[in-house]
Amino acid sequence: MQELWTRLQLIFTQLFDQVRAAVAAETEHVVLTVLDTVLPVACGVLRVLAVIVALLILVRCVLSLVREKTGKEIWGWLAMNDGTQFDLRHWENTVGRGGFSDVVLDFPTVSRSHLALLRDDKGNWRLQPLQTKNGTRVNGKAVEHTVPIKSGDIIDLGGMPLEFYAISDQEEREQAMRLGVAERPLSPARTLGYLTVFQIMMAVQCLPGREGQDLIMIASSFGILLIAMWAMYALYRTLKRTAFEPETIAFFLCTISFSITAAYSPESLLVQTISMLLGMIFFLLLSVLLRDLQATVSMRWAVAVLTCLLLIFNVVLGEAVFGAKNWIDLGFISFQPSEFVKVAFIFTGAATLDRLFARRNLIFTILFCGFCMGCLALMSDFGTALIFFVALLVIAFLRSGDVGFLALMGTAAVAGGWMILQFKPYILNRFMAWRHVWEYSTEAGGYQQTRTMSAIASGGLFGKGTEESFLKNIGAANTDLVFGVISEEFGLILALLTVSCILILAIYAVRCAANARSSYYVIAANSAAAMLVFQASLNVLGAVDILPLTGVTLPFVSMGGSSMISCWGLLAFLKAADTRPNASFSLKLPKRIRGWVPPDPEGIYDGWDEDFDDYYDDEYFDDYDQGYAYDDPYQYNEFEGYDQPDFTQQWTPPQPGPEDPYATRHWKQGEGGIDDWQSLADQRPMEDTIRPADFGEGRENR
Amino acid sequence: MKRLNRRVAITLVLVAGLLTGMVFFCVQLFRNGNDWVGFFGTTYYESGAIYDSKGVKLYDGQTGEYAEDWSTRVSTLHLVGDRNFGTSLRSVLASRLTGYNPVTGTTLGSHDVTLTVDASLNATAYQALNGRKGVVAVYNYLTGDTKCLVSAPSYDPLNPPGDINENPAYEGAYLNRFFSSTYTPGSTFKIVTTAAAIEQKKDLDAFTFSCTGSYQIGPDTITCPYAHGQNMNIDQCLASSCNGAYAQLALELGGDTLEKYMETAGLMESLEICDIHTARGSFEAAPDGSSYLGWSGVGQYKDLVNPCTMLAFLGGIANRGVATVPQLVDKETLSGSAVPAAFPDGTETYKIYDEATCARLKEMLRNNVVNQYGQSQFGDLPVCAKSGTAEVGGDKQPHAWFVGFVDDVNTPLAFLVLVENGGSGASVAGSIAAQVLAQAAAN
Repeated sequence: MQELWTRLQLIFTQLFDQVRAAVAAETEHVVLTVLDTVLPVACGVLRVLAVIVALLILVRCVLSLVREKTGKEIWGWLAMNDGTQFDLRHWENTVGRGGFSDVVLDFPTVSRSHLALLRDDKGNWRLQPLQTKNGTRVNGKAVEHTVPIKSGDIIDLGGMPLEFYAISDQEEREQAMRLGVAERPLSPARTLGYLTVFQIMMAVQCLPGREGQDLIMIASSFGILLIAMWAMYALYRTLKRTAFEPETIAFFLCTISFSITAAYSPESLLVQTISMLLGMIFFLLLSVLLRDLQATVSMRWAVAVLTCLLLIFNVVLGEAVFGAKNWIDLGFISFQPSEFVKVAFIFTGAATLDRLFARRNLIFTILFCGFCMGCLALMSDFGTALIFFVALLVIAFLRSGDVGFLALMGTAAVAGGWMILQFKPYILNRFMAWRHVWEYSTEAGGYQQTRTMSAIASGGLFGKGTEESFLKNIGAANTDLVFGVISEEFGLILALLTVSCILILAIYAVRCAANARSSYYVIAANSAAAMLVFQASLNVLGAVDILPLTGVTLPFVSMGGSSMISCWGLLAFLKAADTRPNASFSLKLPKRIRGWVPPDPEGIYDGWDEDFDDYYDDEYFDDYDQGYAYDDPYQYNEFEGYDQPDFTQQWTPPQPGPEDPYATRHWKQGEGGIDDWQSLADQRPMEDTIRPADFGEGRENR
Repeated sequence: MKRLNRRVAITLVLVAGLLTGMVFFCVQLFRNGNDWVGFFGTTYYESGAIYDSKGVKLYDGQTGEYAEDWSTRVSTLHLVGDRNFGTSLRSVLASRLTGYNPVTGTTLGSHDVTLTVDASLNATAYQALNGRKGVVAVYNYLTGDTKCLVSAPSYDPLNPPGDINENPAYEGAYLNRFFSSTYTPGSTFKIVTTAAAIEQKKDLDAFTFSCTGSYQIGPDTITCPYAHGQNMNIDQCLASSCNGAYAQLALELGGDTLEKYMETAGLMESLEICDIHTARGSFEAAPDGSSYLGWSGVGQYKDLVNPCTMLAFLGGIANRGVATVPQLVDKETLSGSAVPAAFPDGTETYKIYDEATCARLKEMLRNNVVNQYGQSQFGDLPVCAKSGTAEVGGDKQPHAWFVGFVDDVNTPLAFLVLVENGGSGASVAGSIAAQVLAQAAAN
């Protein structure tokens, strides 16, 4: 046996030696040949697969965003004396006769916009009268300025009494739970898994033709990207946040950015990686700040002043790079302040509802924007100035709703633009070639665009790989012409998907508006989205000669540290408007109540599969499973006794019956309320009170 | 808040803007991607080679090299071209040489293009022009395959002359005269006038004309080089190219009729060959009864024709009234292989005159050769032809034309020779035509 074993060993050793010798002689040649023939084919296959995976990722993100089923948060009610209830669906609600009010009271004595009911993030409510003509009373006392209100207060709008109820902590929690189950996003982990596959595919495609240092740089940057992504997700999970779609899209765009940077100059990946990490930190910090609306609003002035100082500093000390004097070099680091000013501008430009009714509040924003644009013009950064202008238009429109004002601003801008062209005719030359670039293919006006368009066409739908491309050798390819580089190297489909990412983010912002808590979040999210979309339009359509080439970056994708960080900042505004429960890091979870049990009358938690495993892990379920929640009679009874609509079903309000149009409901409410609505109803003369026709079918408010 | 929720539509306006822009771009890309790639096709992209019909490499896109042989390089320069030529194949076939298609772009590798042109024939033609400016073209009027296409002056692309912009000898060197120029047709236009006469004058067979060397129209005189003779019939008038007779015919037919026949001949159209659009000919109907009308009937006055459409017109007469558009590309294959990479270019035709008219014209053109130019120079090829000596004004020599075709299904060739300021058409251009035809027929 031993002998046999020794022999076998000997045979194998000899065989191995022979093979090794044969291979050693041929190794270099064979490996090179294999690499030369296999690698291009493999990369070609990878490019097609990468497009499919990218499509999958984005479809999952979109599906997850549109899966919303119910999605209406309720923060309080206004009850009429016949039992009719109006939901307060936002933190900021207007009450009035006009159809645009959040609570529509169609009575002649109610003004079109009568008053606003405002909630802060601690749950305190205020009432702000928006007119003086028809009078507002709280518990019988006339009110002319903003006053705090609480559950049970009777609000009288021009003789129309309404009882106000705020949602309790417990109800808030129940609501979060209910919506959380109904609107669970598609498993973000799975989407991130696909994104990881995508990242690896892209990284591999960047490797051919690279050596030594570059290989390490590419591998480590993509590695850091991957780890950072999963670390952020882990952080979200720890904090019980489940929605990750905007972040997934941002990471997707970062992946594209890394890929083209790797193809262009791997050494620049270091900057790109560091700025992405800084951007993520900036995003998280800004998100935390945005949780506290009062703190945010109170910081607006400070941010505005700091921004102005930064811009003045930049105008004085800025350095010219590619014509625009918009860089500050601090020796160890250089950055573009104008990118950060974008974030600051939205931070200061958005406003809460109580400030929307005074025109003078807008003037500050206009002046601030005017100052920013002036500084940018001094720095010859007209592309960014244009973005600011569009952001201003969006903010102004969101705040005032005044189309005439937009037209006025537009006219002023055209006049201003004409003036600039008069004084600086060389700018006009840049627009001479617009829509005629092929006639200027050898001159500055059309040099970049013609090559971009040619390169896009040559890449086809799936691109020609990182090695073959020529566009990367053209000036500003990795910033201004980035759409062309993606198309040429990775194909038109991936380039279009990249642009659709920005569109998805914008539509996400629009959708969030419907359920947003405060107008601050709506304005911030939408102006940030508008900024991203407009900037993407200038970049992409500028590179292909549909718009003039202005030299702005493609958000998240173009090479540039400052741009990357500011884009993550803008993303925080988008994310803050997302009111899906447990979605946003920017939203605080409802206060926890010990021993509280999620109601589950229909067994909706039964049978959730592993896709929803985090709810099994959840403490809610721990409490529920152990059953001791029911041992707390006080909480339980309070819940039972609380006469509120059943959140788990579509609640239909009690309709006035034909035999008793002023049906009475008894509210067992705490102090400050009234115990018996019947008494109030009885006091009213018949003709003033309710017109049942007003509450027929089809009324928007119940 | 509800009010604000409506205002957020402004974000959607921007989204719609970007979306519209992207859709617009994609449509543009799909429609023009070909041209976009073509524009830098041979500069930035891997590009295939151009071969002549016998497999001689005229241009190698990979290395940027031209043919080895000097006379091949010079005589095919206007075909292959460099970046100075808008109508060169390197320019117009760039997207095909790079293997472009809208789905895969240029990623599947370049294509080689084999031309129908025989480079040796080109070399012969260029040598026959002997330094004079002009055009020599031969094509198969049944298939449209262009066998020979020379435009002179030319130069060696490997060694461009330094004085190309100043030296009058290189005037218009960047122009492919075959596609892009128009010339006064001179007596070759008499084919059109004859066609009009055949169809419009019922008693044409009874037509006779006595030439005294000059023909009076009011105060003006239409001259012939010499008195062609007495009582010539129409065949003799065409063979001797009698200006007087054709001036009279033109006056009888009228300017509008001539213009109509010029148009029917396709001489005022622009043909498209490999994305090259030929120059349009023109004809201005002079007032009836004027000497201008007489001159326009003999191919002077403001008559202009393009060599390419003229060649197709002659082919049309040979092909019984159906003109075939000349073609340049024989086949397109994957680079370095014989695998076809594109469908062959289809043969395009258009109708000119009636079959009977063409048969009669053919008979008369054949008569020209037999009785006027001499069959001996064409060997046994049944050549039908018409010469032209187009006066160009000033003290310059007239342009010499010689156009025609071989009326034989085995050698279905139409030809066109134009020598700028060459002098007498039949002798100067005719000899070049004979030389080139002999070689073309031998192939």
